Amino acid sequence: MIDATTSNITNVHVTDTLSRKEAFRRWRYRHRHAVEGWTILTPILLYYGIFFLFPVIASLLLSFMKWSGLSGSPEWVGLANYRRFLSDPTYITIIVNTMVFAVSILIVQTALAVVIALMLNAKIKGRGLFRAAWYVPTLTSAAVMAQVAFVFISPADGVINMVLRQLKLPPIIFYTQVDWMRVIIIAYSVWRGVGGAIILYLAALQGIHPELYEAAQVDGANGRQLFRHITVPLLAPMTVFVLITGIIGTAQIFETVMFLSKGGPANLTNVLMLQIYQDAFANQSLGLASTGAMILGLLLIVFSSINMRILSRGRVGN
Amino acid sequence: MTLSRRPRFKISRGLLYTLLIVSSAVMAFPLLFMFLGSIGTTADYTRSPWLPIPSVPTLENYAIILNPGKTDVWKWVANTLIRAAWYIVIPGIISVLCGYVFAKLSFRGRDAAFTFLLMSLMLPGIVFQVPTFVMMARFPLAGGNNILGQGGTGFINQWPALLIPGLVSVYYIFMLRQTFYSIPADFEEAARVDGAGTLRCLFSVYLPMLKPVLTVLVIFQFVGIWNDYIWPLFVTSGNPQIYVMALGFQYLQQAGNSLKGLPNTVTDYPFTFALAACSILPLVIMFLFLQKYFVEGVAGFAIKG
Repeated sequence: MIDATTSNITNVHVTDTLSRKEAFRRWRYRHRHAVEGWTILTPILLYYGIFFLFPVIASLLLSFMKWSGLSGSPEWVGLANYRRFLSDPTYITIIVNTMVFAVSILIVQTALAVVIALMLNAKIKGRGLFRAAWYVPTLTSAAVMAQVAFVFISPADGVINMVLRQLKLPPIIFYTQVDWMRVIIIAYSVWRGVGGAIILYLAALQGIHPELYEAAQVDGANGRQLFRHITVPLLAPMTVFVLITGIIGTAQIFETVMFLSKGGPANLTNVLMLQIYQDAFANQSLGLASTGAMILGLLLIVFSSINMRILSRGRVGN
Repeated sequence: MTLSRRPRFKISRGLLYTLLIVSSAVMAFPLLFMFLGSIGTTADYTRSPWLPIPSVPTLENYAIILNPGKTDVWKWVANTLIRAAWYIVIPGIISVLCGYVFAKLSFRGRDAAFTFLLMSLMLPGIVFQVPTFVMMARFPLAGGNNILGQGGTGFINQWPALLIPGLVSVYYIFMLRQTFYSIPADFEEAARVDGAGTLRCLFSVYLPMLKPVLTVLVIFQFVGIWNDYIWPLFVTSGNPQIYVMALGFQYLQQAGNSLKGLPNTVTDYPFTFALAACSILPLVIMFLFLQKYFVEGVAGFAIKG
């Protein structure tokens, strides 16, 4: 430091600030990571706390309360909402429906995705075109496209019934027949959902080194053995990913049911998301809606951990 | 001995192509049906419900939908585009900053903060959507509310409700973090020797290298917001002025006959088809041009994660 040699009072003062500045600069440099990290993270974590953590806690608390959300204050009702969900036949049906839809859509979708991805992974011409045919449906809006799907099943002037009439067959009134509605909801969901899984499996298949197959072929393995001992085990990690991210999507089925069946007939195709929506906005019962949301969250956690448990044993796809 | 690069299954080429063509045609059928139906009339559709091949192709439906004098479609599209821009720029900036922090800086509490953020990936959106709706409705001093959030309707049916929630997207923070991990520290060190600060490094050194992953972010945020329906339905169903595309189209599809001055005797399905086509076409065109990024966006997370 230049000023250190002089004994001038002002200079001492300047030295002091300079060294303090210097010290701060050094401190800041030494803690650069923490300073910059927290400068960036603090507002983001604050926002996240307000718009994620707080709502989740509020949801949890509201699930023990009765509240219209419009006026008055919430009233503590303990486990009454949960008891309703587990004893009211309607709500039990809704929970079961959600699980049945989520699992069946996921299974159909994943199985189909594996088959299609294997076919697309073969040396074929026009792969881009085929891939587009399978992927474009995922780009459609669930709400807008469900209205097109509804045209197909509309009772009097729907596509399917007009075709049946031309064939001199009796019409099917789809939305009074629960089995038909289930099949249609599953088919529509798979149509919109399978594309993403195909892309994932294609990526996994293309990540398998050709040398593995070549080495096995040199050792005399046939096509089936190659598939059984190389393709299947190497697709397992992707299957974990597809099933876990998949269940999070399929368990939240909403627009499809809302537009195709409105939950009918007699709630037999109703699902949690739709019931939560109705409880919250039509019935103004935020407590029940929050309980539904908590139950859906719990189901997802249970599903995901079961998936992981099963798949970590490596028994999938055999 | 011949070695094929991929395993040979006991399935002939011919069968493979047949299966692929038939199954792909089944997948494409609803969209093909929709496009054909949209350029025909109700009569065409009634005459040949197998596949509504129009006797005289007409763009009447599209002309009505895209006519600003008759519908609010352009307004809804503009609303959707404003939302899309907002939900691309803000989460984009946040994800880049957070990705850098979580991958390139090391300090105490970093991993705890990351785990805290990851929690949101595990819960369904509805868990926070219902309370967020209440928060919007009870927002203090907004929409006639007093300081305690009582008395009015808050941000319900107003723009802020469409723009406030969901700005921190943990999915993209995760993706950006993985990308930052894959970039060697040498680039940043070289820039720092030349006297660049952190922001300078982010903009001049990292940003060019983040282009592919940011393209993925832009595409998927765009598709997500373009099709977003649930949240706008929750918070704006009472204000047609700020409808987004998906919400507006749902109400508009019943208006086909009245817009054409026809009696409401038969449902105007061609009009519904044309509306759906309008909502899908921009994304299909985008997909055809940016296919590579779509594939990367879907697969990148799984492979890198």
